[in-house]
Order: sequence, then structure tokens, then C-alpha cells
Amino acid sequence: MEIKTVGVAGTLESSDIQIMISAGQNGIEVDLDSEVAKSYGDQIKKVITETLNKFGITNAKVKATDKGALDCVIAARTLAAAQRATETTDQPRLEVLQ
Amino acid sequence: MDKTIELNLNFPDTKTRWENFLINQGITDFSSREVDVLDHSIGLIDEDGHLVGTGSIAGKVLKYIAVSNDEAVHGARFNQIVSALQEYLFGQKIYHSFVFTKAKYSSSFAHLGFNELAHTDTAAFLESGTPSIQDFLAKMPRIKNQNQKEVAAIVMNANPFTLGHQKLVQLASSENDLVYVFVVATDASLFKTSERMDLVKKGTANFNNVVVVSGGDYLVSRSTFPAYFLKSPDELITTQTAIDALIFKNIIAPELTIKKRYLGTEPFSRTTNFYNQSLQKILSPTIEVKIVQRFRDNEKIITATNVRQLIKNSDLKDISTLVPPTTMNFINDNYQILQERIKKGMNIDGN
Repeated sequence: MEIKTVGVAGTLESSDIQIMISAGQNGIEVDLDSEVAKSYGDQIKKVITETLNKFGITNAKVKATDKGALDCVIAARTLAAAQRATETTDQPRLEVLQ
Repeated sequence: MDKTIELNLNFPDTKTRWENFLINQGITDFSSREVDVLDHSIGLIDEDGHLVGTGSIAGKVLKYIAVSNDEAVHGARFNQIVSALQEYLFGQKIYHSFVFTKAKYSSSFAHLGFNELAHTDTAAFLESGTPSIQDFLAKMPRIKNQNQKEVAAIVMNANPFTLGHQKLVQLASSENDLVYVFVVATDASLFKTSERMDLVKKGTANFNNVVVVSGGDYLVSRSTFPAYFLKSPDELITTQTAIDALIFKNIIAPELTIKKRYLGTEPFSRTTNFYNQSLQKILSPTIEVKIVQRFRDNEKIITATNVRQLIKNSDLKDISTLVPPTTMNFINDNYQILQERIKKGMNIDGN
């Protein structure tokens, strides 16, 4: 899937995560900011990368600012940002979240 | 739960309420220079209808952010305000934002994914989003084994490119292996950014070790150094020039292995004079600062300010002694457009 613009979803409020996706060349590069990065950083990155791969994105720069989001929130925000970045919001791909 | 609302500062009542809230939080500068540039302001209202937080946007810069700290969850209001401001920016397709703040609040923004670019004793400057300063630098042209070469930089607005600029570039070119000429990217001058960029490229085409690039958001831009474009008090200029100089010293110069920065003396512009002093103080000795005397045509000092004045007065033939033929051709071809811009109120006495 081609990234056409910058896609953002989520907020900086508690229990949420803000995901910003832009075009990249070296696989999925996740720049993560999280107070729980030490314990859950790898898991958060894994959820983001898997969601993007399932959606069909294999190269992207991702900036993630986490405020303690659960995995389901991370996946949902990632999908929303990916659909915005690829300008495909008119065709929701909710099956990616299953 | 607090609710975010849009604040329309054109309503005197709203503005007074906003000002009073900010004054209580220790923010007191409501000069038109600061307030008139705000594009959008939001407020945070608690369940009783009290204003408990606010924030504004000017271009891509977050401003006037304050929250009352009697909240239940520490930091929640601040996060809500910054989120709402960013959401507004994303709606405008602006994915890259900046904030100037007191040094003590830098870490609060860092918690929200902002990256500190520079700080002084009192102020900090941070960015968020994409493209970041690393993306900006990654795109810069480079030469082989650049880290072993003599690399220099010049930053210029070139409004327009004069013989003075050309001689400064020539000197740097003759003393170095590679010279970056950063052209100020902010479009706030008589000559538009694309025109200034083009004239610098044409006027330096003969020097094959000179690359002309945009200064982006990081070298004398409206984001890092708004006071350059507006008459401002000394203290503000000092802080902003220091931030600009620190970004150059700590991030840009190391990445591009720049060892020297060339400056022209500035006899007429107070702001540029401050900037030069600040650069000298902050950059040296890490980066050698070479201050070069303004070049003269007979006894006349060559400045772009002078050229703009001559355009205004339709003294075209006098301009040819001050600018290279490439700039002269452009002025000849576009002289009516330039005069039209001056008539429409473009300030030509600033930078």
C-alpha cells in the first residue's frame, strides 16, 4: 500500500496513543515515546508493526507517543492512521483488527 | 471531564476572560506582535463552566499554553490542550509543530513526544512530528569524506542577492572545500522565497564547491526566530538568536561537519547586529566565526536594503553597481511587480 500523505490518529491523553505515519524506505521504523517503554516497548512496537503489515504497509516511519494504551487501542489507532496516510478512509478495513 | 471549546478572541468578552486567566498563570505579554498572529485558540472548560486551560496556534507554533493546576489528575489538562491543538493542526494538514516555552516546562512537552532542539537558561525550543530536523539534515547534499574536509556555512535572506553576498560567498568558497549557503525559507520579504533562492543559485553558479539549500524551519525562520521579521524588544531578540545559534551549533553543524560560519558585518540592521554578536558568543570556539567587513562600491556600502530603496524610487540604473547581472536581469524583468508589492504595503526597511 502506498503512503500518500502523513496520517495521524489518537490523542496524548491518558490510556491513549498518538500514531503518526509517514513514508519510509527501511521497513517499519517505530520511534516510540512511552513511560512504560522499558516493560512494554517491544510489545507496543510489535502491535504497530503487525497491524501495518496486515494492512499491507511494509515501509513506513511511525512516531508513536504512548500514554498507557492497551493493545486493542494501539491497533485501532494504528489502523486509523494507516488509512489516513494511504487516503483509504472511504474503505474501512476493520478485519485488520481481528 | 473538562471540555475543549474554541475561543474566539475577536469577542472582547472572550479575550478579556482569556487574558485574565493567563495573567493568573503568569503570562502577561499581550502585545499585538504576539496576539495578532494567533490563528486559533482553544479553551478548556470544567463542569462548572470555568476556564481551566487554554492554548493557541500561530502558523505551526503552539503559544499561550496554560492550565490551572487544581486538577484531579496531574498533567491531564495539559495533555488535553496539546492534543486538541495538534488535532487542529492535523486538520490543516500541518504535521510538524514547534513550541517556545520556559526552560522548566521543556520536560512537560518532552513527555508528549516533543524533541528539545535547544535551550537557554530561561527558554526552550522543541519540535514535534514530521519531518523532523533529522529528516531535514538527511536530505542535505554531501561530498565524499566530508568529515575530513573544510566545510563552511553562510546563512542569508538575500533580499535580493547583491554583489556583497556574492563576494562573501566567493571568499568562503576560496577558503573551504565545501560551502553551504542556507537561504532563509520564511516568505516575509519583498523578494519571494523562490525568487531569492533562484537568484542565490544563479549568482553562485560559478563556484562549484558551493551548494545552495533552504534554511527550512531551523535557520532564521519564522518559527525559530520570529523577531527577525518583526520589530521586537531586545530581550526577545537575545533569546531567539541564542536558540537559533544553539540549534546550529549543537545539531546542524556537527551533522554536516561544518567548522566555520561566515557573517557579513551589519551596519544598519539592529536585529542582524544582535544576531551576529550572539552567534559569535555561542558558536566560538567550537565553530570558527569569520566576520567579514561589508564590501563597498567606491565608498558606498552594498546592502540589500539599499537595493530595495532604489527599486522603490525607480532608480534602476544605480542598482546595477550593487547587484550581479543575474539579479539585475530579474529586477529589470519584474520591476513593476516589485513596485506593486511595495505599494501594497510590503515593508522594505526591515530584513
